This record gives sequence, structure tokens and C-alpha cells, in this order.
Amino acid sequence: MLRPGDIAPPFDLPAATGASLGRVALHALSDELIVLFFYPRDFSFICPTEVTGFNTSLEQFRAEKCSVIGASVDDAQSHQRWSAELGGLGLPLLADQGGQLASAYGVLDEKEGVAMRATFIIDQERKIAFSEACPINVGRSVGETLRIIRALRTGRLCPADWTPGAGFGPADRKF
Amino acid sequence: MREVVFGVQDGVLTTAGVLAGLSGAVSNHSQIVLAALASTAAGALSMGAGAYLGTRAETEVLAGEVARTRLAAQRDPYVVQEALLGELEKQGLTREAGYRVVQLLSTSPHLLFKTAEEKVYGLAGAMHANAALDGLVMGVAFAGGALVPLLPYLLVPGNGAALGSALGATALALFGVGYFEGWMAHRAERWRSGMRFLSIAVGAAVAGYLIGLLISPLGAASG
Repeated sequence: MLRPGDIAPPFDLPAATGASLGRVALHALSDELIVLFFYPRDFSFICPTEVTGFNTSLEQFRAEKCSVIGASVDDAQSHQRWSAELGGLGLPLLADQGGQLASAYGVLDEKEGVAMRATFIIDQERKIAFSEACPINVGRSVGETLRIIRALRTGRLCPADWTPGAGFGPADRKF
Repeated sequence: MREVVFGVQDGVLTTAGVLAGLSGAVSNHSQIVLAALASTAAGALSMGAGAYLGTRAETEVLAGEVARTRLAAQRDPYVVQEALLGELEKQGLTREAGYRVVQLLSTSPHLLFKTAEEKVYGLAGAMHANAALDGLVMGVAFAGGALVPLLPYLLVPGNGAALGSALGATALALFGVGYFEGWMAHRAERWRSGMRFLSIAVGAAVAGYLIGLLISPLGAASG
């Protein structure tokens, strides 16, 4: 699995954003930060709360100049129908058929042929700024991802459990 | 069905074997009949008890498994939903269609779990077994099967003639059980079922006889 500091593998894949089909490419994204979250499958009883959670918080991510993109091994048409099933999504879902993107990010479950439940934050230099993976039965915290985005945007040394408004560490300290 | 076929086949073959063996060793007709009757009684009781205990053990283990799985399902219903979804996909439904089916089933938690019991955990069939009934059917089937080779000994005078009639009746009975099984399964060529049953049963008996021949020198050496 890729770690902070690694170069984010580029992607240019078919995607569904709500009812619209198109393509999403890393090089074409203009936002400073990108949240790329992988999930195993569409039409699942485990995944929905995360996808809808990111969708609900989309405006907050956009306020931080951050794009949010989901990815699974399902095709774009499946993403389109899954988005409709979830009430319509405002974020794009990448069709990583074959799992090459998941494999490039080191989060492909080769036995099952699906991506693990993993989240990456890609910075302005298109390097990995944050990465995490969760067990199949544990949903990610969208709030925590947003908190980390906000912390990264400060460019400052943020102590444990930092939240906006809280103090920073000494400006002359690296860690 | 299993208890009937197993019980009759075992009753027929075991008793025919006892009669054939005793006819070779003993000349007194009454003693042969008495020994076969005792063997029949012991066999029927033993087989019946075995069937009862086996079925009871199986249903108890499965009941425990079902209880544990239901508890887990109540705590984390998504586990059952996802497992059933995976199974429906394996059986040919598209993921989306399977999702819709599980979603529909989820409106009735009881039905969701019963379906998962059958499709995912394979627990459905054995849960409905009745241990007492299985034991009774097995015992009665054994005794009924035993009567087939025994009756000639009760009706036909002379050990030789009785044995020949018993073996003939045994072969007919074995063919008949196989034919009945084919009839129950609505097969077109039921005689094939009969012949298969007869050949397997006779093959087992012949194999047993040959094994007995092979090891008989051990008895001679120790005696």
C-alpha cells in the first residue's frame, strides 16, 4: 500500500457522476487536494454509508479546495445505477475494471478481485499525503478525513486530535 | 427414504449372510431359524438405536450452529445480507439483481435468515429431521428386510432348498428396493436402478466373502 511521500499513480478512467457518464483523469483535476477512496463493490450492504457520507460532506470538502473521488472495480454503468440507488451522488465514481488502479495504489485484494476499503489524500504535488486502510466490517470516518484535509491545508504542525481553531505546534519544529 | 433403503438392504443382506453362514456350519433347521431370528432382533434394535442417536446428534449440532448464527445476524445483519448476496451471485444472478432480492428479503428478518440458512449455511434440510421417527423407520425396515430371506426357512423344509429360496428371494428383494427407488425418483428405466442396487449389494457381499476367505488362514493358524 502506498505511503505518504510516494508519488500518486496517475489515472484516466471512465466514471459516473450521478447520472452522467464521462472520464476523470488525475492530470486534469485542478483542486489542490484530492481524496481518492476505494471501496469493494457497488450494490453492497457494507459500503453505502461511506459513499453517502462523503457525498453529504462534499460541500465541506470543496470549501477546502478538495475533490472527492470514489473507485471500485465495477463498470461505469453499474456506478450510474448505484448512484441512483443511493439517491444520486455528486461525486465521481471511477470504473477501475480489472483493479489496475487499486493494484497501483497497493490496495487490491487479489484473492477476491476487489479493492480494499482504503483512502488516500493526494497533495498539490500529486504525492500521497495520507493513506489508510480499514477492515471490511469497519466503515471509515468521513469526519476524520475532512479533519486531516483541514490540517494539511494549514501547512502547520498540528498536534494530536487537532481541530480547526485549536493551537499549532512550534513553527520551528518539523515533527 | 434413506432409512427405508438402508434398513431394508441391511436387513436382507445381513440375515441372508447369517442364514448362509449357519447353513454351512449347522444342520439343525430350527437352530438356524432361531439364530437368524435373534440376529434380526438384535440388528433391528441396533440399527434403530443408531439411526435415532445419529439423527439426534446431527440436529443438536445444527441447532447450536443455527442459534449462534442467528445471534450474530441480529447483531450484524449486514453480514448475513452480504453473505446471501455473494451466494446469489455465485448461483448466477447479477450483483444488482441479487442486491434487490436481498433488499426485498430484508423486509422480513425471519425470511432473510431462513433463506440464508438454506443457501449460505446449508442448514435447512437436517433441521427438520425427527430422530425418533428415523430410528423407528430404520428398525422396522431392517426387520422387514430380514423377513425376506427368513420366510423361506420358515416355509420350506430342508436346509438346501430353504437356502436356495432365501438367496433367490434376497436377490429379488434387492432388485425390488432399487426399482422402488427408481419409481420414487420418476426414472424412466427403473430396472436399471434395480440392477444397480442388486449389483452393488451383491458385490459388497461377495467382497466380504472374499475377505473372509483371505483371512481364514489366520483363524486356522491360531486354532
